[in-house]
Amino acid sequence: MTPAAGELVLEHASRAFSVRADRGRTLKELIIGRVKATRPPGPPPVQALDGVSLHIRPGETVGMVGRNGAGKSSTLRVLAGIVPLDAGSVRTGGQVVTLLELGAGFGRDFTGRENVFLNGALHGLGRAEIEARLDDILAFSELGDFVDAPVATYSSGMYLRLAFAIAAHLDADILLIDEVLAVGDEAFQRKCEERIARQIAAGATLVLVSHDAALVERSCARTVVLDGGRVAFDGPTAQALPFYHRLMGTPDPQPVAP
Amino acid sequence: MIPGVAHPHRYLFEQMVRRELRQKYKGSALGIAWYLVNPLVLMGAYYLLFGVIFELQRIPDFPLFLMVGLVVWIFFSQSLLSAAPSLLDHGALIRKARFPRETIPASVVAVQAITFVVLLVALGVVTVVLRGTLDVALLLLPVVLLALLGFVLGLSLAVAVLHAHFRDVAPILSAALLPWFFLSPIFFRPEDITGQALARAALEWGNPVAPYIEAVRAILYGGAAPGPDVLAYVLAGAAVSLLFGLALFRRLAAELAVLV
Repeated sequence: MTPAAGELVLEHASRAFSVRADRGRTLKELIIGRVKATRPPGPPPVQALDGVSLHIRPGETVGMVGRNGAGKSSTLRVLAGIVPLDAGSVRTGGQVVTLLELGAGFGRDFTGRENVFLNGALHGLGRAEIEARLDDILAFSELGDFVDAPVATYSSGMYLRLAFAIAAHLDADILLIDEVLAVGDEAFQRKCEERIARQIAAGATLVLVSHDAALVERSCARTVVLDGGRVAFDGPTAQALPFYHRLMGTPDPQPVAP
Repeated sequence: MIPGVAHPHRYLFEQMVRRELRQKYKGSALGIAWYLVNPLVLMGAYYLLFGVIFELQRIPDFPLFLMVGLVVWIFFSQSLLSAAPSLLDHGALIRKARFPRETIPASVVAVQAITFVVLLVALGVVTVVLRGTLDVALLLLPVVLLALLGFVLGLSLAVAVLHAHFRDVAPILSAALLPWFFLSPIFFRPEDITGQALARAALEWGNPVAPYIEAVRAILYGGAAPGPDVLAYVLAGAAVSLLFGLALFRRLAAELAVLV
């Protein structure tokens, strides 16, 4: 079944990550045999997602909370289609716009203006579509004369303003935002929240990963609490946040057996 | 240019090529001109070696003979060498955004192709004028060059995605390219090296780059169309390389965001 625009479906989604520092395999290992046979045993892989099932309907606002390593960012990257699953399935409908890390896809020697084009292109837009949005994006970013300076000269707040301005003007059906808004000053944060609210009113879906309980409370009607790669709680934010706060006292998620 | 990048991300490809062109030599005095300096220095060095020191004078207009073969080789080898680490170099992009990953090695190859065409046009004009090889066979040159591009692109895709998985690929490649260069008919004609039919066939057909060098040289230096066997080899080589490269890339690209 194809999901509707703005709909996200995760079914029994599982994904483990190797936590080795040397992530690449070598040809020797390929030729001689298994990785485990030729390397000293390292830490076992971490199960970032462990049978996560979520159904998010168009227009929903969903917060995702949990301790560090609970699988929030992995879930977002799976939803964004960047990381494939080991098992289970993920389906999303419509244009997915991600705001994962600051400066994603920014060429540091390029000006702000040029990066608007590069970022738009990364999201599959053509030159004409980007040009049509350029003025709005630059105005929203409040960068002034800096739009024609290389982004290498930007402060992290300026990075965020440009990145958010671009993401906010890509006509997202689904907005995936990971913990980046905190970098902006209060005035810009408010502006971002207003902009997101407008997009949601227009029918967009929001998934927001944040440690800022107040932000989640303001922006999200529903909240998913992740713990050790599993959904520990999924329901109205008013009930989810107390659950999350109680959970914060429990020990760290253990790595799964290899 | 390649099927996967054709429609919605065509503009992305354009942007990536521009980024590649600008970023690499940004801040250096010569800027983009560095793309031409490297091959020119190589050509000068090899000319000194084979044209002056060893004086391979049996071949008429040896400098032109050498240069035509050399530009083809430089395009081939530089494309593979720069494609191999390209996915790792763009790790930040791959980890954060979803887009056709083929765009990255393809844009690296495109930049090399632009350099190659600039060099080849300049050299081609000189060769055709000095050798008097203006011939209808020149019309075949675009076909041969497109086939060469396909051949190089397919191999570059394979090398790039393999290197992301197995970090030995780039060092193996740079080690292999040196003997490969000396076995390629760049500064010699196979018939001058050996009278043995088998050895000659191995030099002419066993090395997949050789027919591309032979075809370009037949047209520009020889002023004649390459033989039908060479043309068939060149076109088939492009098709095989592209199909193999794309299939391998698609198969191994899913995990890239985790690997790079």
